[in-house]
Amino acid sequence: MVKARETKLQAIIAELSEISQRRERELAEMDRIAKMLVRRDFELSEIREKREKELSELDRAAKLLIRRDLELSGAIVQLEKQRNELDRIAKILVRRDLELTEMREEQVKELQEMDRIAKMLVRRDFELAEIREKRERELQELEKRTKELEESRTALMNILEDVEEARKKAEEEKEKTLAVITNFTDGLLVFDRENKLSLINPQAENFFDVKGRNIIGRPVLELSTFPTLEPLVRLVGKEIKQVFRKELPIKEKFTLEVSTVPMVREEEKIGTMVILHDISREKMVERMKTEFVSLAAHQLRTPLSAIKWTLRMLLDGDLGKITEEQRDFIEKTYGSNERMIALINDLLDVTRIEEGRYLYKPTLADFEPICQFVINSFKEEIEKRKIKFEFKKPEKKLPQVKVDVEKIRLAIQNLLDNAIKYTQPEGKVTITLKSGKKEVEFSIRDSGVGIPSDQQERVFSKFFRGANVLRMETEGSGLGLFIAKNIIEAHNGKIWFESEEGKGTIFYFTLPVEKEFEDF
Amino acid sequence: MAKKILLVEDEEIIISLLQRKLTQEGYEVLLARDGEEGLKAMREVKPNLVLLDIIMPKMGGFEVMEEMIKDKELKEIPVIIISNSGQPVELDQAQKLGAKDWLIKTEFDPQEVVNKVVKQIGR
Repeated sequence: MVKARETKLQAIIAELSEISQRRERELAEMDRIAKMLVRRDFELSEIREKREKELSELDRAAKLLIRRDLELSGAIVQLEKQRNELDRIAKILVRRDLELTEMREEQVKELQEMDRIAKMLVRRDFELAEIREKRERELQELEKRTKELEESRTALMNILEDVEEARKKAEEEKEKTLAVITNFTDGLLVFDRENKLSLINPQAENFFDVKGRNIIGRPVLELSTFPTLEPLVRLVGKEIKQVFRKELPIKEKFTLEVSTVPMVREEEKIGTMVILHDISREKMVERMKTEFVSLAAHQLRTPLSAIKWTLRMLLDGDLGKITEEQRDFIEKTYGSNERMIALINDLLDVTRIEEGRYLYKPTLADFEPICQFVINSFKEEIEKRKIKFEFKKPEKKLPQVKVDVEKIRLAIQNLLDNAIKYTQPEGKVTITLKSGKKEVEFSIRDSGVGIPSDQQERVFSKFFRGANVLRMETEGSGLGLFIAKNIIEAHNGKIWFESEEGKGTIFYFTLPVEKEFEDF
Repeated sequence: MAKKILLVEDEEIIISLLQRKLTQEGYEVLLARDGEEGLKAMREVKPNLVLLDIIMPKMGGFEVMEEMIKDKELKEIPVIIISNSGQPVELDQAQKLGAKDWLIKTEFDPQEVVNKVVKQIGR
């Protein structure tokens, strides 16, 4: 029954972690798409700008051509007028010539004069013809140039059409990009290089209950005057610093996960994108899970203690004499029950770690006695398993550390328990303490089965159990190292290991030393 | 005359076990199955020691102790907490309310309960 529950619990938790992994993958994918989109949008607007500039250049050229064309047409009309005038003059001159001839007959006296005039007139006529020819040539030239202009205008019109098409395409692309941004399930805010808001999508408007038209163009600091945006501004600061998947509680049952991504083009920062992912559901599931485990653990403890006490009293003979065979069975049952209790305790610890209320009142303490205390509690086990055990201490006294003593004991206990459990009889386990300038270092070396190299990166995850270990030992919750890591990290310490399958494992952790003179 | 121990506990199996164990050790065991009943019994029989559970119907262990420290006579009775839980916050609160000892049921057994009782009031 309990076993079945345990399996169910593990299945639920495995499923949850799968959901969360899937969510993480989706988020990464969305991040990638969003980045790409923003980059595309920028490229497009750049293309559009360039096109617009070309277009206006072309417009200007076309206007110039048209004006010139008009001027030329004016000049042509003027020339035509002049030609007509000349024609008229020529006609008058011919008439006059006739008159003069008539007059010559009558007025011989005037002949010479007339002749002169005639000659002059001929000369003038000749001049006029020359002028006319010149005008003709000019006219032809004008016509040619007009034609040329006409041609270049057609060419311009063609270019204009091409530009228009390109612009339409760009417009279409932009609309597509905008549609993607608008329909994106994550909220997006884009700030320009001066950290002014340049874009907000409808999801982000919803998240913060604001309208884009009221806030676009404002610098990030000014946004904090909107109460709903204030927590976000506080998180990213006026410089919009880089954050990655920071949780931001907005209100009860509504939590966003915030990431900021700098937008860089040709090594120059052109703005920052803020991505908001709604993780309310994940948080709720997590809380439900925590509450469930917590309640289950408490409820499970009650019958377990009843079983423990009953068996103990049976074994102690308090409930009457028992036979050797009965004692044997009861002792085994008692052992199983103890393992169950240990598992429930581990589960409770994990729950508390995940609720974030784990460390309790750290106090300044000597590290060596803490280790010694745990080692003493394993004396019997070490002897029973015929393991050679050594405890190496430095000659100089270690500096004090600020710790939650119970929790540090638990961490060491988990490490020592593993070392002993996974080392064959006649094997060796060594604990070494070292003192550094800023920290004390604890290491525990065993000559045990080791951790398969392909599984090493999962060692500290919840419910992890080595494949080789699963075959040799049925005990173990897979929670010990997860708990140890959380304890050490809650103390601002580090934990790591070296291991080779079949040869053994060394686990290390460090705890920071309180700076003695800091308070002075 | 045998010393009187008041066991305030709602779980039947624990009651039977402790009653048997403590009686074997020569104590007189009185029973109360919730906090209210416990306080009433304390006032009537003035036990030498109280074994007190925390999570119980009607009135829990912490409330019982809050009542006890208001009463001049009851304040003097030593209390040992027996609980299924043992979070540091709870231990602190119990200490503040004057509990002499605390034991988590899964981590102790009846003999250790007897040892703690002997330590407080002798045989």
